Amino acid sequence: MARLRTKLPLFNLLTKLVFTSAFLLLLPYIVKRVNLIQTDNDLVRKREQVISLISQIGIEPFIASDSSNAFGSYNILRDEFISIERTTRNEDINYIEETKRLIDNEQIDYRVLNYSLNINGKPYILSVGRSMTSIQLAEKNIRLVMLLFLAFIIIITFITDLLYTMRLLKPLNRIIDKLKSISDPSSYDRKPVLTSTSDFISLDKTLIDLMDNIDLLFRKEKETTVNISHELLTPVSVIRSKLENLLIREDISPEIADKIEESLKTLHRLQSLINSLLLIAKLESRQYLKEDAVSLDDILSEVAEEISPVADDAAITINKNFNDNFRFAKANKSLLFSMFYNIVNNALKNTPGGGKVEIVTYLADKTVIAGISDSGKGIPQEKMKTLFSRFKERGNEGSGTGIGLAIAKSIADFHAIEIDVESEIGKGTTFLFRIKSN
Amino acid sequence: MNVLIVEDEKSLSEEVRTFLRSEGYICDQAFTGMEASEKIAVNLYDFVLLDVGLPGYNGLDLIGEARELGSEAAFIVVTARGAVEDKVRGLNLGADDYLAKPFALIELLSRMQAVARRKFKIQDQNLVIGDFTVDFQSRKISSGGAEVGLTKKEFDLLVYLVLNRNKVLTRQQLYEHIWGNILDDQYDSNFIDVHIKNLRKKLNEYASTPWLETVRGTGYRVSLQ
Repeated sequence: MARLRTKLPLFNLLTKLVFTSAFLLLLPYIVKRVNLIQTDNDLVRKREQVISLISQIGIEPFIASDSSNAFGSYNILRDEFISIERTTRNEDINYIEETKRLIDNEQIDYRVLNYSLNINGKPYILSVGRSMTSIQLAEKNIRLVMLLFLAFIIIITFITDLLYTMRLLKPLNRIIDKLKSISDPSSYDRKPVLTSTSDFISLDKTLIDLMDNIDLLFRKEKETTVNISHELLTPVSVIRSKLENLLIREDISPEIADKIEESLKTLHRLQSLINSLLLIAKLESRQYLKEDAVSLDDILSEVAEEISPVADDAAITINKNFNDNFRFAKANKSLLFSMFYNIVNNALKNTPGGGKVEIVTYLADKTVIAGISDSGKGIPQEKMKTLFSRFKERGNEGSGTGIGLAIAKSIADFHAIEIDVESEIGKGTTFLFRIKSN
Repeated sequence: MNVLIVEDEKSLSEEVRTFLRSEGYICDQAFTGMEASEKIAVNLYDFVLLDVGLPGYNGLDLIGEARELGSEAAFIVVTARGAVEDKVRGLNLGADDYLAKPFALIELLSRMQAVARRKFKIQDQNLVIGDFTVDFQSRKISSGGAEVGLTKKEFDLLVYLVLNRNKVLTRQQLYEHIWGNILDDQYDSNFIDVHIKNLRKKLNEYASTPWLETVRGTGYRVSLQ
């Protein structure tokens, strides 16, 4: 797993390294060849210099006619020599050989150019040589320079690759950020990403179109839910009124009254179910207003106050511990109240008589946290995943339709609040509401 | 009092009419917006129960029309939408109250009575129940001159039972009246029982309350002869 902007330069680096290593394998051979050709050319040039010198000043300064029949000149380090000697053989010689010479009891390897000369009718052999050590030294130097140069090129191109790829992929990252920042297709940033890369322009455009389409479908679906709920509420309303009117009549027997009463209760369940679905659909399609500036502590206090008669009745203590006085700038107070009320009410239901429910607020990491804990029996791990799903009852102790937590979640989403649940079997459950404060 | 019931759902309109008649109201019905518009222009009503979901007619427009004609009828807007904006718009346009479908008939009556008290400046007389006196104006209940300390919810509950005296109110009706129905998934029969228990306990410190009856399986009733 790596990002594209590192992967691309890394791949480039890899191919460069492969080619360079292949080149490095061949390098000694190439350098050797180049160096030998260079040396041989050099030897030929020296030979020409010597010949032109002889043609100017004659052979005598090198070889006095009678005293000796050979001349040899070495430079101080003995890496080069020139020798001229008389020969008896009268043939054309022009070749390069590698040979050993003994100088001051020291054997030295030379690359030597032998050349036959004919001066004043006398045959001579001219030898120009260079020591193999000096040739190899030059070879080593060439290799070193080439290596350094290659390394330099690789590093420079890697860095430029990296920088360019980063710049190139900036629009892509921007598109990814745009996608990450939204919770709903309608909030996708429709401002096109600025780039000269046509692929990204087309990606951005495709995504914007896709978001528009999804948004339209979402809205249609939500509208349908709202409309269906309305359609359902009218017949419920009719039946309810009919039953209530029946119940008022004095000519009905107690048994019939009981039946009507039961029907009303069942009808009420249907009614709350529809209302809950309607509430969620309206929350999801943002049909509620957020116009209240309200303090978190105040809402929680109100919830605690509201529910205290029930808590007192069950001998459950509600502890409040508020350490942060966060205020919502724009919120829907009654929805937030319902959300917290729902959770506190659940906490009460799950706490055995004589137990306690804790309501706390505090600031952690720039996040305002409201926590509601019970000392109940906890939620089994397998139920945690579906906790906020619709119609999944948390336990059989609840009297609701099991949609309460789904509603709480929708209200939290509506206010950009995150809900976390921590639960330990036998110890209790804590609902944490994380509110990002700026 | 004259009531115009504007509701396109005929059977619902019938039920509301039956109920309001039994409470002594004189009822007229309109099933379409046009019909309602005509009736409001011709007749004088004290109340208009207005369903805003009329097909082909924005029910809220009727309020404006009525006001232009100088009608002083109290408008109670009934909607299955229950949307906030409807509520705000309705009240801005001069509706006197707002009720979401499905509503309890007793709740409708109670809203109408409240609107009537406000609109027609009807002063509630203090009411004597057993050894207690309920003062609706200052929202107090006292016994032998000593005030009984009740919470707001307890007092609301008591007043609702007293205003609908001699009728059985179900726990659901009581709950809806006191807590509204924004999250009626939370409806818990235990709630009302706890509050009634507390209410009784507080009242019983002053005098007995045989008039506050529990109707088994159903709810509660205040019986006054």
